[in-house]
Amino acid sequence: METEKLFEITAYTENQVGLLSAIAGIFTRRSLNIERLLVYPSQIAGVHKFKILTRAAETQIRAVVLQIEKKVDVIKSYYEVDNERSCREIEDVRRFLEERENENKQ
Amino acid sequence: MITGSEAFWRSLLAEQADVVFGYPGGQIMPVYDTYCEFQDQIRHVLVRHEQGAIHAAQGFARASGRPGVVLVTSGPGATNVVTGVADAMIDSTPVVVVAGQVPCHLLGTDAFQEIDLIGMTTPISKWSYQIRRPEDVAWAVSRAFYIARTGRPGPVVLDFTKDAQTGMVEYAPKPCKFIRSYVPDPPVKEETLQEAARLIDAARKPFVVYGQGILLSGAEKELAAFLEKGAIPAGSTLLGLGALNSDHPQLKGMLGMHGNLAPNVMTQTCDLLVAVGMRFDDRVTGRLSTYARQARIIHIDIDASEIGKLVPVDLGIVGDAKKVLARLTELIAPRTAREWQMEPILCEAVEKHKVIEPEIFPESGELNPGEVVARVAEQVKGEALIVTDVGQNQMLAARYSRFVQTRSFISSGGLGTMGFGLPAAIGAKIGAPERTVVTFLGDGGLQMTFQELGTIMQERTGVKIVLLNNNWLGNVRMWQELFFRERYSCTRMVNPEFTLIAQAYGIPCAHVEKREELVPAIERMLAAEGPFLLDVHVREESMVFPMIPPGRSVDEIMLNNEDWFNYGD
Repeated sequence: METEKLFEITAYTENQVGLLSAIAGIFTRRSLNIERLLVYPSQIAGVHKFKILTRAAETQIRAVVLQIEKKVDVIKSYYEVDNERSCREIEDVRRFLEERENENKQ
Repeated sequence: MITGSEAFWRSLLAEQADVVFGYPGGQIMPVYDTYCEFQDQIRHVLVRHEQGAIHAAQGFARASGRPGVVLVTSGPGATNVVTGVADAMIDSTPVVVVAGQVPCHLLGTDAFQEIDLIGMTTPISKWSYQIRRPEDVAWAVSRAFYIARTGRPGPVVLDFTKDAQTGMVEYAPKPCKFIRSYVPDPPVKEETLQEAARLIDAARKPFVVYGQGILLSGAEKELAAFLEKGAIPAGSTLLGLGALNSDHPQLKGMLGMHGNLAPNVMTQTCDLLVAVGMRFDDRVTGRLSTYARQARIIHIDIDASEIGKLVPVDLGIVGDAKKVLARLTELIAPRTAREWQMEPILCEAVEKHKVIEPEIFPESGELNPGEVVARVAEQVKGEALIVTDVGQNQMLAARYSRFVQTRSFISSGGLGTMGFGLPAAIGAKIGAPERTVVTFLGDGGLQMTFQELGTIMQERTGVKIVLLNNNWLGNVRMWQELFFRERYSCTRMVNPEFTLIAQAYGIPCAHVEKREELVPAIERMLAAEGPFLLDVHVREESMVFPMIPPGRSVDEIMLNNEDWFNYGD
């Protein structure tokens, strides 16, 4: 059994109504939870960028990325392991919460 | 200035569309009204149910190679085509569906006959788009045709709001030949092809499995040339049938659950599997964990997301089958023979003796459904276009028909849509009017879209309907016999007198029960000018063998209720 890891999928797309649900549907079909989703204009004018954090096996992520890229209005899609970065982020949040609790105690 | 509706018909003409399958209704009435001015240039086929329209459009597309066009109203008209959209998606069929939609100011308000068609069809279409302004009509229609027919073909859906139909626009054609985010014909690296040729040349027992991608890419000649130069045997998927002449000596038959023994066994004994224009459907691969594990695998497909989706490959080639095969044929070394020895000979002998002869040449008893297919095949000599419904009729039609030319077999493969056969046959006959179109159906599937006999009557479509009538949902009954302890839950059918129904529609018909009546009745059917319904009473407990039971490896094959074939035992 292949181990599941956190991956960050990036997709560069046209600005087309309905693309968010088209992409989300690919995750729904495979029962993949989206841990985080960001959609914003990229540095290229008229091109939008999706950043999707999800936990799955790498073979599944590879298939998902190809199915995203298959959508007519998706320009390119990539993935990378997000383990390290998300660990850093989690540590950051943990630290933040601890600090807040400490402030609260004082 | 013209209306959006007129722009729509002009855009269809700009795409060389000359047939539309449709059904009018409230939110598409402006388009239908404008049709009065275009009826000399475009034929409209009035179906009896919108599902009939889309299956007919699928049949048209697969017979002619041109996109089928569907025109329906909003709400129920649109939901009724959804099954066909899904069917066209999984079977890569170019279809352009145009549905009416409520005016823009009512979108999202639960207006009469409003549904979220884009939301419903996004996961099952190649592209779906809502036309909200008359200015978008020419652009959207042209883009829809371009997307439907290029790359891996598929269905597109246009949701045409009523105000876009009635609004005025300065019309100019907007032909679409390029979409920057969409690469329909991916370039293939020469090094990749050279690597593939090296693998093929080094193989002792290479085997090719091909699918509908050969037909879609028009690569029939390239496939034959490639196989012949490399002396490589091949097996076809269900939808690949007809790509090679059935009598081609290197074609070892059909793959998969009810395919021939030889290609399934050769999948498990080859040292190199070259898959072209096929997607490793589970009905082809059986248990994936044991599928062709001994072989290196090359997968050629135009859809990058198919490579490695199910079967891990040694080399993936994303490209058009015609171009890839043409170049590979240049690159590979010519061969006269390969190390294939016993597999095909043994398999063919066993299958002939244990399965084929008992099915198509029974000595006595009731008629077998496979026997009916075989007698039709003898008469049409491989030249007919065979359309099937889904179930035993489909598997037997695939097994016992012969094909001498491409685009001769139309069937609902991936979705397995019962009710597909009759309307698809209507569309196929309209798409290829010069050909004899024979459809094999069961009594279950025929009754799912039976109403399209009305379309046949109105359009005088010369479809030959062969009803393999056993008064059962035969395929489910077979599974109940084999895998559900012979508990026949809800599969018995009490049926009407089908010939009386055909007569009501003015369709000539015959009813056959005895063996000696069969051939004369088939002759009468084929000699008839137009449509004909042949109601053949076949054995109730008919089975389809060989069978790879679900979850089994492709070389674990049932030959009948008792005997298994295990190559190597």
